[in-house]
Amino acid sequence: MRRSLASLGALTVTALGLALPMEAGSASVVGAVVAPSGDAFSATRTVERSFVEADGTTTTVSRHEITVTADHTQNLRGRERVLISWSGAQPSGGRASNPFGENGLQQEYPVVVMQCRGTDDAGVPESEQLRPETCWTASVAQRSQTLRSSSESTWVHDVHNSEADKQRVSGMDPIPADECPSADIAPYFTHLTEFVAANGTVYPGCDSDSMPPEAAVGAAFPAAEIAAFTDSSGRGEVQFEVRSDVENESLGCNDTVACSIVVIPIAGISCDAPAASPSLADRSCRKQGRFQPGSSNFANDGIDVAVGPALWWSESNWRNRFTIPVTFGLPPDTCDVLDPRAPTGFYGSELLAQAALQWSPAYCLNKARFKFQLNQLSDVAGFNLMLSGEGPAAVVSSKHENTGGDPVGYAPTAVTGFSIGYVIDRPDNAGEYTDLRLNARLLAKLLTQSYLGSDLGRGHPGMGGNPLSIVTDPEFVTLNPGLTSTNQEAAATILSLSNASDVIEQLTEYIVNDDDAMAFVNGEPDPSGMVVNPAYEGLGLPLQEIPLLDTFVPETQNTCRQANPSVYFSQLAAPVTTMRKIAESLLDAWPNVQTRCDFDLSTQQFKTGRIERQSFGSRFMLGIVSLGDVERYGLRSAALETKPGTFVAPSDKGLAKAVALTEQEEKRGPFVLDQAAVSKAGSAYPGTMVVYTAAKVRGLDEENAEKVAQFIRVSTSEGQRAGSGNGQLPGGYLPIRSTGPTSKLYDSARAIAHAVEAQAPARTPEPPTPVDPPTDPVDEPTDAPSSTTPPPGGNVADLVIPDLDPPGTSDPATAPEPGAVPVANDAPVVDTVPTAATQAETSGIAGRLFPMLLLVGFLGLMLSTGSRFFVRPPRVPS
Amino acid sequence: MKISRLVAGVTALLLASSGAALAAPTTADPAVSSRAAYATIEGTGSTWSQIIVDQWIADVDSNGIKVVYTGGGSTKGRKDFSQASVDFAISEIPYQGTDETGQADTSNGRAYSYLPIVAGGTAFTYQLKVGNELVRNLRLSGETIAKIFTGQITNWNDAQITQDNNGRAFPSKTIIPVVRSDGSGTTAQFTSWLDKAYPAVWRPYFGRSGLTSYYPRKNGSNFIGQSGSDQVMNTISGFAGDGTIGYVEYSYPVNKNYPVVKVLNKSGYYVEPTQYATAVALTRAKINQDKSDPTKYLTQILDDVYSNPDPRAYPISSYSYMIIPTGASDSRMTTAKRQSIADFLYYSLCSGQSKAGPYGYSPLPLNLVQAGFNQIALLKKADADVDLTDRDVTTCNNPTFDGKNLNKNVLAEVAPNPPACDKTGAGPCGESTGQNNQTPSPGGETDTPGTDTPTSGAPSDPGSPTTGPGSTDPGFATDGEGNGGDGGAVDVPGGGAPVFDPETGEVVAGSGSTDSTSGGDAIFANPTLVSDRPLDSRTFGWVAVIELLALVLLPGIVVASLRRRRREGAST
Repeated sequence: MRRSLASLGALTVTALGLALPMEAGSASVVGAVVAPSGDAFSATRTVERSFVEADGTTTTVSRHEITVTADHTQNLRGRERVLISWSGAQPSGGRASNPFGENGLQQEYPVVVMQCRGTDDAGVPESEQLRPETCWTASVAQRSQTLRSSSESTWVHDVHNSEADKQRVSGMDPIPADECPSADIAPYFTHLTEFVAANGTVYPGCDSDSMPPEAAVGAAFPAAEIAAFTDSSGRGEVQFEVRSDVENESLGCNDTVACSIVVIPIAGISCDAPAASPSLADRSCRKQGRFQPGSSNFANDGIDVAVGPALWWSESNWRNRFTIPVTFGLPPDTCDVLDPRAPTGFYGSELLAQAALQWSPAYCLNKARFKFQLNQLSDVAGFNLMLSGEGPAAVVSSKHENTGGDPVGYAPTAVTGFSIGYVIDRPDNAGEYTDLRLNARLLAKLLTQSYLGSDLGRGHPGMGGNPLSIVTDPEFVTLNPGLTSTNQEAAATILSLSNASDVIEQLTEYIVNDDDAMAFVNGEPDPSGMVVNPAYEGLGLPLQEIPLLDTFVPETQNTCRQANPSVYFSQLAAPVTTMRKIAESLLDAWPNVQTRCDFDLSTQQFKTGRIERQSFGSRFMLGIVSLGDVERYGLRSAALETKPGTFVAPSDKGLAKAVALTEQEEKRGPFVLDQAAVSKAGSAYPGTMVVYTAAKVRGLDEENAEKVAQFIRVSTSEGQRAGSGNGQLPGGYLPIRSTGPTSKLYDSARAIAHAVEAQAPARTPEPPTPVDPPTDPVDEPTDAPSSTTPPPGGNVADLVIPDLDPPGTSDPATAPEPGAVPVANDAPVVDTVPTAATQAETSGIAGRLFPMLLLVGFLGLMLSTGSRFFVRPPRVPS
Repeated sequence: MKISRLVAGVTALLLASSGAALAAPTTADPAVSSRAAYATIEGTGSTWSQIIVDQWIADVDSNGIKVVYTGGGSTKGRKDFSQASVDFAISEIPYQGTDETGQADTSNGRAYSYLPIVAGGTAFTYQLKVGNELVRNLRLSGETIAKIFTGQITNWNDAQITQDNNGRAFPSKTIIPVVRSDGSGTTAQFTSWLDKAYPAVWRPYFGRSGLTSYYPRKNGSNFIGQSGSDQVMNTISGFAGDGTIGYVEYSYPVNKNYPVVKVLNKSGYYVEPTQYATAVALTRAKINQDKSDPTKYLTQILDDVYSNPDPRAYPISSYSYMIIPTGASDSRMTTAKRQSIADFLYYSLCSGQSKAGPYGYSPLPLNLVQAGFNQIALLKKADADVDLTDRDVTTCNNPTFDGKNLNKNVLAEVAPNPPACDKTGAGPCGESTGQNNQTPSPGGETDTPGTDTPTSGAPSDPGSPTTGPGSTDPGFATDGEGNGGDGGAVDVPGGGAPVFDPETGEVVAGSGSTDSTSGGDAIFANPTLVSDRPLDSRTFGWVAVIELLALVLLPGIVVASLRRRRREGAST
């Protein structure tokens, strides 16, 4: 403990000293996980199934040479995913809609992947060796067979089983009568595979009450073990999620308790000699499957148990196991819940969430630092809390309007971004689709709700001829050939955010930059004749938030829908409040489409709700996610089109390229990524976003100013070391370094840290601009030319002109609305830099309208006064 | 120091468990070392409190406490807890014994206790457009709300609504109430209030007395049922949502920057459910202190909250509860999990409360935090190895506490008085709701009702300028089109029914220059532009251009022509 504190302290010293030499550890953080050498696992073995015939000879039914690999096995963290892949296995049949836990039991020839405590090393004490009793399952049905009829008791005929295991009752011995009173009833067959927890407690596993607490039915924590599917070429892969003792205390894997991932390719039970007249059980043992390879079993029909996953513990299967030893890393030191320091919260962007999770322990564990927290809110809400002083700093990723009097600096803190996450299965159980490509027009179609969803959407006026979903859109099919053409509602939409976000702003800027996409939004049909949803035609992009503009309520005979008349397209879109919810929806393949409508018996009412989770093999879902979540949860990201024909997926390289294109338009301001430059460059990732710590460089009290400066300095030095430890930068973020393309961010952050710390008092006033900015732009032009009495506001009138003169400083588009609260109550000086909150998108006709009108009015005034002197006809004395 | 104590506790636990191993026949393997003092806990339940609970979960991650919370509604939470599929649940209401459909609503024998975790106001968010503008300052009395949600008031131009808004009539438009279709604690809170405060309206509609978690919808009514608070917000804020009104926790509209209804309280003020208004209201909450009945102990009795006479109080305020397992032999519990629950709650009740306000909730006062600690102590009672050392109110970073006088609710004392324009028969105030920007009165200043300043005094307070011009709705489509400033001008053509100011007789919308910032004359529909359809705004944009041109040029022309006329008159 003390040593780690000391080393942290040493690190801090280094970090806060001169610029940290950053060349070390330039590991890739976005994209594929690179396993250090020696960390991976690979093994090959021959797996056979054989039957002993009545005459005593042995027939080999099948033989497969199977190779299993794991991409990394060392220093794992809880819930980390390990890629397990295999080749040469028997193709699977009867795919389940969900292969995890007990849902995966009705499949034939699957590959069972599970986590067990112990290793397969004969050299270690028996208590540290793995056995079926130390392997985790989330349900009884996966580990025990209770009260089976003789024809179902296939394991009794497993030629490799010991005599004891061939008895009517086998496994746990004796069966505890108090916990399992009904497990042993003749003539039924029972085999209990008890679970032995890390602390020694034995759970008999005869019903759901005699299972470990982590295995509760319907638990919020999903099963990790999987009966995975092998495709027709004998290959398959899964991202297996390991659990440490923090997630699964009973299993109890940690840095000192060794564990393994066990992979059991189910080849079928090898059967002993049949009776003279083969019994039902003999016959069922010799079954070889009723489902075709590659077929699905979404109806959960019965299977031939002899080739199913439920008997993984039977010796014929268990002996074929691949044991992949894994080690868990030391859990990171954590903050003390009794720390008396009050936490300091920075409010803002979710883009920083994954980094903040790793960073905050590096603050609380160091007495020289403040106790940092990230409070996730929408960017604009966080920014306003910073302006009002509720939070010392905001976390944002674009420029926001500074309505206060004090200048604000944007210190670059992390380089990350968003991506279009997806989970898509290829047809015919051929595995997941891994290289989705999208362009701006497809995104525009999704965001403008221009796909019909289902027949319910066909009645929508003005776009009845559009495809039902993206999978039948020729543009999508051209980019992503070979996918299913079966429409489903979830494929008609992309799960997005309901609150304002800088992420949506950047995504829509990407669309704005594409002429084809904007032509589509503005009403021009695409080459296949698809048109924009009329409710969205001419939508003024970019936006911080995609509004739900449709009003179409379908006419239907469905009584439930008649009782719940709802806007169908809004139910399809159903945006949510955080990107984390979107990431979780993608992980579960559970779209947030709210079109389910059924009768609830308990309340006797028709009600609407979320549709079911999608079935494995027919998943199709898109969502807007943060790159931090992509890496944390192992999601897939679509490649976005930049130049015509060039598609860029998020990667270190693509992020770095985009950072190189950014430009800081004003001192201490954010670095703006011009999407036109992105499409010109080709290789830059359009979803790249810089996350800033925005804080006042004047008017912040000293204590908070020091905290902010410290945070900026620590996060741009120590916080940019890639890794999974405390204070390090997790995957999904590009390290900011003092050299290379990110050096300008580094320099700017350092400069702003200094400025925040210094909190320079008001500089020598430039032209002393008045306090009250004009609150009503409509009023001003009428005042100026007609020069009537000043409005009740007092001293405003004669000061208006200088304030309005510099074009851009008072853009009518961003002018205050009537009804807003006056700003800068006490500020003597309006700093011109931050109040010039003019964004490119707010210009237009109206943007120039105000100055032009002023000019016109002024000319009119000059004319009318001038006419008095020059044009007036000479008075003729009468 | 504390870490070493924790380690000692864990060691003690291991010794104990290995001791047990000798006794029980079904255990083996003594002394498997374990470093983790915490184990992941999981829960389901309320979406009312989910926004802040999610943030707390992110916060305690750095303490090594892993919490999984998936919402799903209070009813689901209580049910999951009773089936022992979760470690804790969050609910707005206690177990009801038997629910409204006659099904059991009990913990199914699992020992538990209630623990208040956060306070908040059940807000009514709505979309009501006048022309193309979103009304942001609607006021309603409780009775009006009750009648709306029982189908007795069905049009926004109803005389009672007009009266609530001091004579300002809204256009004729059907009211579409949006309710929750899933089992919801928000619904339970709302109907509990309806039942207590307006039984004459509620009970004939419901068909009996009491609260319900499933809002009853009559066949053929235009009520919309939606699942989850997110979906209620989506339905109301969508373009088709004009005329809708629904109920959610205040944090949902705050996060979306969407208006909420100011509700009339006992003393005649229309109040928004800010953290202050909620804290003030809840000073009258009675907490059941009868320890003999654990199924009711610590549950809330809100009758006096609904009728709190303080002018600052928001009537429909309440608490959210965590249900924790307290049985010594609970099948899901281990020492590490109990420790996780205890420390997660310690953080939530203390430091975690400091962010309640910005998120649209209200921090818990001391007496409830103290009561909460008493419940946490039950975890130690169930399992002596749970370490509760130094976890008490004295080490608690809770913003409502006054270090010197623990009986004071700081928040309730600094809560600002409502402006006079929020009083019955006055106003309505012009400022927008749903922005969580109310600021405390500085240092005990008594702000007598009568200072009609929407910004509630305190110009020196840095908290007030949160809603600067334009900053509040940068996401709306038309801001970029230059319409931000001419809201007053487009009102009339779109509105159909111009609204007259009762005092001046002028068309209110035309007097766009007298906005709320000038203090006195509040306008009726605050011209906050909403995300309307771009085609509409383009049209109105041109209208605005023409009107502006007229505004600029007309005076000159009039002056010129007047002068000419005068000259002509003079010359004849």
